[in-house]
Amino acid sequence: MAHAQAEDTRVEWEAALVQRARGGDTRAFERLYREHAGRVYGLCLRMTRDVQLAEDCTQDTFINAWRALPRFETRSSLGTWLHRIAVNVSLARRRRSSPVEPLPEETEEGLAEAWTLETPVEVREIETAIGDLPDGARDALVLHALYGYSHGEAAQMLGIAEGTCKAQLHRARKLLRERLGVEVN
Amino acid sequence: MTAPHDGNGRKVSSLAEIPTSIEPGRDLWPNIEARLKESPAAAPVTTGAHAIPAHLRRARPPWLAAAAMVASVAVGVWIGRSLLPGVGRGVEGTAATTAPSGFAAATDATVLDAAYVSDPRYQRQRAALLRSLPARLAALPPPARAKVLASLAAIRKAKEDLESALGKDPSNALLQELLVDTYQDEMRVLTDVREASEPGRGI
Repeated sequence: MAHAQAEDTRVEWEAALVQRARGGDTRAFERLYREHAGRVYGLCLRMTRDVQLAEDCTQDTFINAWRALPRFETRSSLGTWLHRIAVNVSLARRRRSSPVEPLPEETEEGLAEAWTLETPVEVREIETAIGDLPDGARDALVLHALYGYSHGEAAQMLGIAEGTCKAQLHRARKLLRERLGVEVN
Repeated sequence: MTAPHDGNGRKVSSLAEIPTSIEPGRDLWPNIEARLKESPAAAPVTTGAHAIPAHLRRARPPWLAAAAMVASVAVGVWIGRSLLPGVGRGVEGTAATTAPSGFAAATDATVLDAAYVSDPRYQRQRAALLRSLPARLAALPPPARAKVLASLAAIRKAKEDLESALGKDPSNALLQELLVDTYQDEMRVLTDVREASEPGRGI
């Protein structure tokens, strides 16, 4: 109950900041940046695997968001909207250097949603294993397993078919299992 | 890739437990802010009929224009009062020096909080002042009348801009405060005109 009220307050506060930013108020936009920079940067860093590139992508994300603010629907989540922009920016940057290899669509049904580990593993070790995944598998894994987006949402953000997203997740699970040496369910 | 969570040896049993937020190694905002100033504005809402260049619009929210207008109104009111005989300055003559303190009472009445805007007494007083305004304006010297009309036009424009901005951001305390200031300015002009046009005030 209290959490829901706090969330409502946060959403209203954020919507007010968006309105002010739309009017050209850079201070309001800075507050939105401070609120979301960590998650946006985390997404960019995991997608690019390069600190400098991730910083550039984070900056581009917020510049693009500033320009596109008039088109943002305040009813939707600002965080999700920023993540979509961050994914686009990161993919565009990455495509310049290395195109993502296509995968056949996944036909297998009933992929498990939970990404639980048979035995606990250090965050650092998991992050390293995720960083070593091929780009396509890592993108799908980060959006789905870490950021909590559904198969459809992750696929839409990445500009791929949902079946392809599932295939990438299947591949990510298999590779993580091999690299961590534990079962990933 | 540098491990995002340097020094994080915490063990987790689900990928959902991995923190999604990673703070950048340096503050990226100064660069972003510099680029915002170079990039097109976020298409701020325009409320005036006059087009404002994009590079100015970005740094100038519409309600800020209204705020500037309130400030200019204050100057206009001051100029108007200085032109109005017997208001805001010493007036020679027995009639002026013995004039009732209605003006002071009226201006005191404007020093109220936001609630006064919807106060019935305020509404009645304002309506009465507006009804008598044309006749009182007609009795003023042309320079004073022009100043009063300019002040009232600026106030009306400021109110429209602020009300429009409040429609989009109703909880903005600064906008609310500026709107109340604007109503107070309007009341000040109206009472000035009333006081100046009263018999025995030298018009």
